[in-house]
Formats: sequence, C-alpha cells, structure tokens
Amino acid sequence: MFKKIVIKVSTLIIILIGLNFIYNFTLYEKDLNEKCEQIVEIRDKQAETDIFYFAESSNFNTRETDSIQSTISDLTAMFFPSLTLTAINKPATHAGIYKVWLKNINLEVNKPKAIVVTLNLRSFDAAWIHSVLETQLQESVVLVRPYPNLINRFLLSLQAFDNKTNEQREQDMLNDWLNTQLVFPFDFKYKTVREWDVSFGQYGWDLADGTPEKNKILLTCHYIKAYAFNLTENNPRVKDFDEIAGWCQKNNINLYLNLLAENIEYADSLVGKELVFLMKQNRDYLVKRYNKGNCKVVDNLELVNGLEFTDQTWTTEHYGYKGRMTIAKNVANSLKDQFSKEYKKAY
Amino acid sequence: MLFNSIHFLFFLPIVVGLYYLLPQKFRWILIFISSCYFYMVFVPKYILILFLIIIIDYIAALTIEKVEGRLKLFYLVASLTANIGLLAFFKYFNFLNENLVSVFSLFGKEFHPINLSVILPIGLSFHTFQSMSYTIEVYRGKQKAERHLGYFANYVLFFPQMVAGPIERYETLGNELKAVHKPIYQNFADGFRLVLFGLFIKMVVADNIAPYVNQVYLDPLKYSSFEVLMSIFLFSFQIYADFFGYSTIALGCAKLLGINIMNNFKTPYLAKSVSEFWSRWHISLSTWFRDYLYIPLGGNRVKIPRWSINILIVFMISGLWHGASWTFVVWGALHGIMLLLERYFSMLFKFEIKKEWNTLNVFLTVKTFVVTSFIWIFFRAESFQNAKDMLKALMRNQNVYPLQLGMLMPVVVTALMIMMDLFLYNSRFDAKLNTFKTPYRWAFYTVLLFCLMALSGTQKFTFIYFQF
Repeated sequence: MFKKIVIKVSTLIIILIGLNFIYNFTLYEKDLNEKCEQIVEIRDKQAETDIFYFAESSNFNTRETDSIQSTISDLTAMFFPSLTLTAINKPATHAGIYKVWLKNINLEVNKPKAIVVTLNLRSFDAAWIHSVLETQLQESVVLVRPYPNLINRFLLSLQAFDNKTNEQREQDMLNDWLNTQLVFPFDFKYKTVREWDVSFGQYGWDLADGTPEKNKILLTCHYIKAYAFNLTENNPRVKDFDEIAGWCQKNNINLYLNLLAENIEYADSLVGKELVFLMKQNRDYLVKRYNKGNCKVVDNLELVNGLEFTDQTWTTEHYGYKGRMTIAKNVANSLKDQFSKEYKKAY
Repeated sequence: MLFNSIHFLFFLPIVVGLYYLLPQKFRWILIFISSCYFYMVFVPKYILILFLIIIIDYIAALTIEKVEGRLKLFYLVASLTANIGLLAFFKYFNFLNENLVSVFSLFGKEFHPINLSVILPIGLSFHTFQSMSYTIEVYRGKQKAERHLGYFANYVLFFPQMVAGPIERYETLGNELKAVHKPIYQNFADGFRLVLFGLFIKMVVADNIAPYVNQVYLDPLKYSSFEVLMSIFLFSFQIYADFFGYSTIALGCAKLLGINIMNNFKTPYLAKSVSEFWSRWHISLSTWFRDYLYIPLGGNRVKIPRWSINILIVFMISGLWHGASWTFVVWGALHGIMLLLERYFSMLFKFEIKKEWNTLNVFLTVKTFVVTSFIWIFFRAESFQNAKDMLKALMRNQNVYPLQLGMLMPVVVTALMIMMDLFLYNSRFDAKLNTFKTPYRWAFYTVLLFCLMALSGTQKFTFIYFQF
C-alpha cells in the first residue's frame, strides 16, 4: 500500500506542475490584474522608468479648490523633465506592501536609478498597523508570493494571509494602546496612549458655556492615537523599512525615504508639547536609522503649515497645492545630488 | 476551523497520520483532542457548552437505562429539557425578546428586553439534536447506554460532522468510532476523492455564486427583474453546493479515518416532488424529524386533517430549527403546504409519479426546482421586507440594460453543478469514480484540481449552515 500511495502522490505532484504551467498561460494575468493592480503597473512600466515613486494617498489627494491638481510625484517629475518618474499608489499602503512592490521590479529588465518611498509617521502607529484595511492590502500581494503561481492562487482562495476579522484587529489595536508604555525623558502623567486618550476624552475642551466641544475633543484624541508612540526596532514597520533599505543597498539602487509632513501646529495646540516631542523624537530615530549609505531621508515633517492640510478634522497627510509643492521641491532637492545633470528648476 | 482553510489542510493529514500510528485504545483520545481543537479555533469558550451537553446526556442515558417506569420518562424529559433549554437560550433568547416587544406594543405597553448579548455557538442545533437522538433511543430501549465517557464525547464532538452534520445516530457513528480501523488503501482513495470533490463544490461553485446573490439580496430594488430572478435560482445552487460541499468533505474526512458516516444529500434538485425533495435534501435532519416528531405525532396513521396539521407542525419547527426568525418559519410552512398540495392532488386524481424518466417527470422535476427556489427566498432574506423587495423587484418587470452584475462565472459554475448532479444521480462521488478506468479517473482529478486551485472564489464565505 505504501508503494501505491507514493506512486499516486508522485503522479499528483507531476499533475500539479503541469497545471501550474497551464495556469500561468491562461488565468494568471487576469487574476493579477484583478488583485494586484500596482504590481501589474510596476511590471508594465519598469522598462522605461528611471525613478519609482511609491506612495499612499498622500500622493494623489488634492484640495478640490486647488487650481493645480498635480500630485506630489507629478510636481517632483517637473524638476527632471528628461527622466521618467513612475508613481505607484494605493491608499493606506505602508512599508510592508512597498517591500513586496520593490521585489517585483525585475532588475534584469531595467534597473531603476532611484526609488522614492513615502515614510509616513502615522504608518508606525497601532491604528495603522492594526487597521481594518490591512486585510485588503495583504490580499493584494498574495499572488506574488515566492511560490508557484497556482499555489498562490489557491492560497488566495483559502484566505491564507493576514486575514483577521475587523473585531480582532480592533482588539489588537486597543491592546496596544492599553499595554504599550510611553517613554519620556521627563516626568509625564500618562503612561499609555489609552490613559492619555481617556483623559482628553473626558476633560478635553469646553465651549464658553462649559459644555464639551465634541469635535475638538475627537480630533485631539485622534492626534494622540496617531502619534503617541516610541519607535524601536521591534516596530513591524521599522522591520519592513529595514528590509527595503537592505534590498536597495544590495542592488545598489539609491533610496529616498520621503518623510511626510505632519500637522505639528495642530498637534501642539490640541495636545501639547509632549506629543510634538514624541513626533520629533521618532523623526530623529528614523533619520538616524536610515540616513546612511545609498539611503537618504527627506525630512518634510515640519515643512507644511496647519492650514495647508486638506483634512482639518482628521489626521492625514493630504495637502493643498502649496503643501504638495513644498514636499515635491524638497524631494527634488534631495534627488538633485544624484541627478544634477537632469535637474531643471521648475518653479 | 473551516474545512476550506489552510489550517485544515495541515490539520487533517496530521490527525489521520497520528490516528493510524496510535494503538486502538488511545485513538479515542486523539479524536477527542483533535475535535476539541477543531471546535476551539472558532470560539474557545463555547466548548464548555458542548461539554455540558455531553455530561448531561451521558448521565441521563445511564440513569434512564437503570430506572424503570415513570422515572425513565422523567429523566428523558429532564435531559431533553436541558438540551432544548440550552438551544433555546442561545438561539432563541433574542428572538423571544423581539417578539415580546412586538406583542407588548400591540397592547400599547412597553417591554424592556434583557440584553444578554447572547451569541449562538457554531453548530449548536446539530450537537443538541444528535445528542437528543441518543437519549431518546436509550429511552426506547433500542440503544444501550454508553459507559465510556470518551466514546460518547466523541460521538457528539467528532470533528468532521460536529458543526454542520450529518446528524448521526449513536447506533451507527458510536459503533463506527469504536471499531478497529486499519489503514486501507481504498479508504484513503475514497476519502481523498470526497474531500477534493467537496472542496470543489464549496469553493468553486458556492463561493463563485455567493457574491452575485449577496449583492442582489442586499438591495433587490436596484436590480433588473432578470437579475433578481437569476439570483433566486442561483441561490438554490449556492446553498446546495455550500451544504453538500460541507457534507461531502465531512464524509471524506471520516472515510480517511476508516469511519463511515451517512449521506446527507442525494441529488435533491432531481426530485420530482417536494416530498421527494425532502428525502434527498439534508437527509439526516429529515429522518430526525420523521423519527422523533412526525411519527410520535401520529405519522400517517391519523386522519387527513390531523395528518395535515402534523405535517405543518413538523415543517414549521424544522424552519425554526434553522434560524430564530419568522422568515424561517414561513420557509418551513411553505414547504409543508406544497407537500400537502401535492398529496391532495395525487389523492384526488389518483396520480402517481412513475420511477422511469419521461417528459412528465422532467416537467415535474423542473416544477419542483422552481417551487423550492422561490421558497428559498424566505430562507435567504434577512427579513420579510427583504423578501418582499425581492418579489417586488421581480414582479415590476423592470429590465435595466446592460446588466449591472457579471453573470458569467456564476452561470458557468451552476452549469457545472447541474452536470455533476446528472452524473451523480442516485450515487455517490467516490463510488461513481470507482467505476471509471484509471486514466479517466485521473483526468477527472486533474480537472477538479485545476478548477479548485485556479477558479475558486476569492472572497471569504463561511459555510451557510454553520450559523445553525
């Protein structure tokens, strides 16, 4: 019986190899187009791309009233008219997804001269790490895992990826806020995000008549939850960025980490200097960690003023034209060192 | 744990491997631990409810066997009350509250329901019914009470069929679990075939139809009459493929351990009447209701009016068993009414359906399919309003072109399912495949494997019957 089973299993493996071959030639491209739009875009455009610009919604969100609706990547590209800059965007994306995109650049087809990746401070917080959007993001990269394509397709059907329920993710988020201790080099009364958040939630802002100013309290709490954390090498996003930096180092491609501007003004006025301290401390951590070798951190953290943020009631990195232009200019200035010949002053 | 999960694809071979490596006397421990683990992957704490059912019915059966006369009945009633009580608490508590609010408001009074946030443990209706059948059989003297708590626990917990049946009798599953099973090649081959086929119909057929049906039921009035009609027919195949898929995987898993469990389906959409449909659909539930409710109510030995009421009672309770909502009760009642109409018709016109296939039988089969499909509306709809919207959207004869929903994949997989049903008529997949020559059999596997791996739905849909 054992011999019989071995023969049947071997036959099955041979059949699977054949089926994988058939799948690659028939349905794979269709599935890839449906599920991994960005990876298809990378593959389609890599031959003529000099610079890849990987971003989340910060790149394409504009203010409706802006007369110029160009994205940050478009505005950056204006400084290098002879180069092709290809932007690959997906809302809520983070380093865990960027690293998969990177690995799908076929260096034998064309090696890009530089890669710009947005370094979004909020993407390191518990709310983003445990966001309910994570399931969809993880689903978008299953088909390009390092297994045979047919196996990847089957794994997709089996939902074999980080596929927690919304409730589980929310619980993980809450646990993080409850249990992760905040560290300050000075005395501070709140030890966790939860304590800080609850305190502002209860005793935040009052209107002149003494009633709570609900919207302002809500926004304040968002700021706390978005930026109150201490970056360490244990943060999963730090690990992802380490991988990105390592990949670029290994393949000798210059990497520009576009540290996005945050609304420091509002963080200060709503929450206070302690939160701004944490934001700057985390920025310093990232600059120190990644600003070396062929990797450069483009620090935009404090460059955009409060009113230039298009969302005034939420924490986002969506900017009006002036904000986008400022960031694009700063990115272009960093790229200038590498592309001094191609650089043309655009505005 | 879901059958259609990567977790299960590792779990099953490990359990099967360990099962045959262990000596017979330890196998029950493996089945017990693996079944507990299988269940605890869903919500760990709910295993305690299962343990409670096991303890109650284990003790009740032993006591029933010992005592005589009225005491026997007392212990049976106590055991049934405990089982039904648990089911009622977890499944019908919120339903009861909602109804009390409505009744009180009818009389202009307010009723403040107690909010316990009760969530129904997966498969509770199946466990309780299975366990109750055991105590009833012991009471009737047809079954000896099990002395070994482990074996009895495994009867309730056996992982292949614990969350969605088939609802087995102790006489069969209990003995199968105790029997010595040696690794036999044919069992492995049959088990593999059944698991493969079950996964195919769940993941390729049901999961490709589900997105279409879900969209239409979410807001029927948004879609054309044609799309609504298609969704009604497609749901018939979705629920069939979903439940038949589960039952087939369950059969296959048990077979891999050398254990035989009953067939729960026999090509139900090839039935020529509603009554035949129920002898082919969810057979283990139909026979449960027949043996423990229909026959005790008098069966067909009573006069026609009483018999008609009995039929309606059985079907309405069967509807309620499926879900704590009046839509399920209506679904059951409609089946009962259709069955009665068919019987009255055949009595009145001395009409008998012939076994051989002819044009009339084809017509009757199509008629039965259409009737059951329309009745499914009440099963699938979230509420009466939803069901009403479905019917309204269908009747208004409004056709919007081009169609809003991609229909190709659902229609293709449904066609595949129909072909499979015609192919399997009155037989089981593993047995049917045994009649094939090796190259044809392997060609069949190849096609199934390709469809399973490359064409399965990519959205997450748990088995529909898990909610019961």
